Amino acid sequence: MRKFFSSKTAVTIIIGFFVIVGLIAGSNWWARRTNTTPFFQRFMNDLAGGISRVISVPTNAVGKSADSAGNLLNTFAENKKLKSEIDSYAQDKVRLQTVESENQSLKKQLKLKETLTDYDTVSAVTISRSPTTWKSQLVIDKGARAGLRKGMPVLAGSGIIGRISEVNTVNAKVALISDTSEDANRFAITIKGTHGDVNGIISDFDSERGQLVMGQITSSNEIKKGDTVQTSGLGGVIPAGLFVGKVAEVTTDDYGLSKKVYIEPSADLGNITTVLVAVSHMETK
Amino acid sequence: MAFWQLIRFRVIYPLVLFFLLFLDGNLMSSLGGVLNHFPFHILPLLTLIWLFYAIEFEVTNRIPFWVYVVVIGLLFDIYYTGILGSYTIAFLAACVVMERLRPYFDERLMSGLLLCLIGLIIYLLVTYATGFIINIADVSLGRFLLYELVPTLVLNIIIAALGYYPAWSLFQVLS
Repeated sequence: MRKFFSSKTAVTIIIGFFVIVGLIAGSNWWARRTNTTPFFQRFMNDLAGGISRVISVPTNAVGKSADSAGNLLNTFAENKKLKSEIDSYAQDKVRLQTVESENQSLKKQLKLKETLTDYDTVSAVTISRSPTTWKSQLVIDKGARAGLRKGMPVLAGSGIIGRISEVNTVNAKVALISDTSEDANRFAITIKGTHGDVNGIISDFDSERGQLVMGQITSSNEIKKGDTVQTSGLGGVIPAGLFVGKVAEVTTDDYGLSKKVYIEPSADLGNITTVLVAVSHMETK
Repeated sequence: MAFWQLIRFRVIYPLVLFFLLFLDGNLMSSLGGVLNHFPFHILPLLTLIWLFYAIEFEVTNRIPFWVYVVVIGLLFDIYYTGILGSYTIAFLAACVVMERLRPYFDERLMSGLLLCLIGLIIYLLVTYATGFIINIADVSLGRFLLYELVPTLVLNIIIAALGYYPAWSLFQVLS
């Protein structure tokens, strides 16, 4: 039989194996521990991000035209539906403006300065997405220079898609809520039920159903399918009132002691071209 | 001029490799509507296909091939995952297996693609396994095979077939 490895190769393979496992475990531990990326990694990321940005110009154009060709097919039905919806939005907008100005004057009277609902958004373009089996991360074209910091929530379309996981000088990485590693999706959320709110956190992502899971709910308030879910602002880092999604199903957990709620995220996590990063006023203080 | 002829392959090969590394990520984001359409998770693996061409057309001895494999693996880890080592080992494993098996395959397109298929499977299985080391795996093996492995193999085998003859003639011209 032909020898596959010489003994020298075998030793190299064994040493290599330990080095690589050490590297994986070590860098994973380091990334979890710190808020700042090591200098070398940051430098490489900035460099890579610059190249990526150049390459993304033509590929994004191709992707966009593919998307618009796909959209063209259901434009007619969608347009009809949207027309009926738009009237109610005009009404809501006027109401929102009135309520907002009232809210501001009331805050002034109470001598409240900034609350959890005050936040700015920084818009950014997705320049890359990791072609990996796990930990699908986005690379966006704004970084520390635009005031981003690790942990800030990221929105796309109508709702939350994840949070900033790593900040470099001119670009940043976004860990998606579909990512169950680390604390990528531990958002404090509240379900706006008909009989009062139910608070909790997103405890998991069910990748088989493509839905978020909110577990360990002991509140007796009724939760129905279709109730809206938003961030609660509890914890103070994430602004309150960011749209997360809608309740898809309510079940009891394996022991029958508490409720488990499945939430359909409002944003399409597969196709994200532009994002907004929410920068809370409370945090910048 | 003669000097350039001598080294041009050594310059152009890693440049293309480097370019494809970023192209993979850009394709993943810009064609997200197709590649990432739930429940599918299809990965473009152009970088690995380029490494396969070097093995298939037997040019690995003319360039510091294994250095490129390790460097590209590390860059991939730094840029895309932030966890050093996981994709380095996947690229290395796939390339080592393809290199070892190369003598048993001939030059025809179909047997070349079979070798590429083996490399792609090794790569994807190693990445699946590393997910368990760092405890971020959340997809069962069955779903992984159905919605990620099989469609990814189909896409990349087609790309490898399309690029097979162009890459072959490019390697001929360069060396």
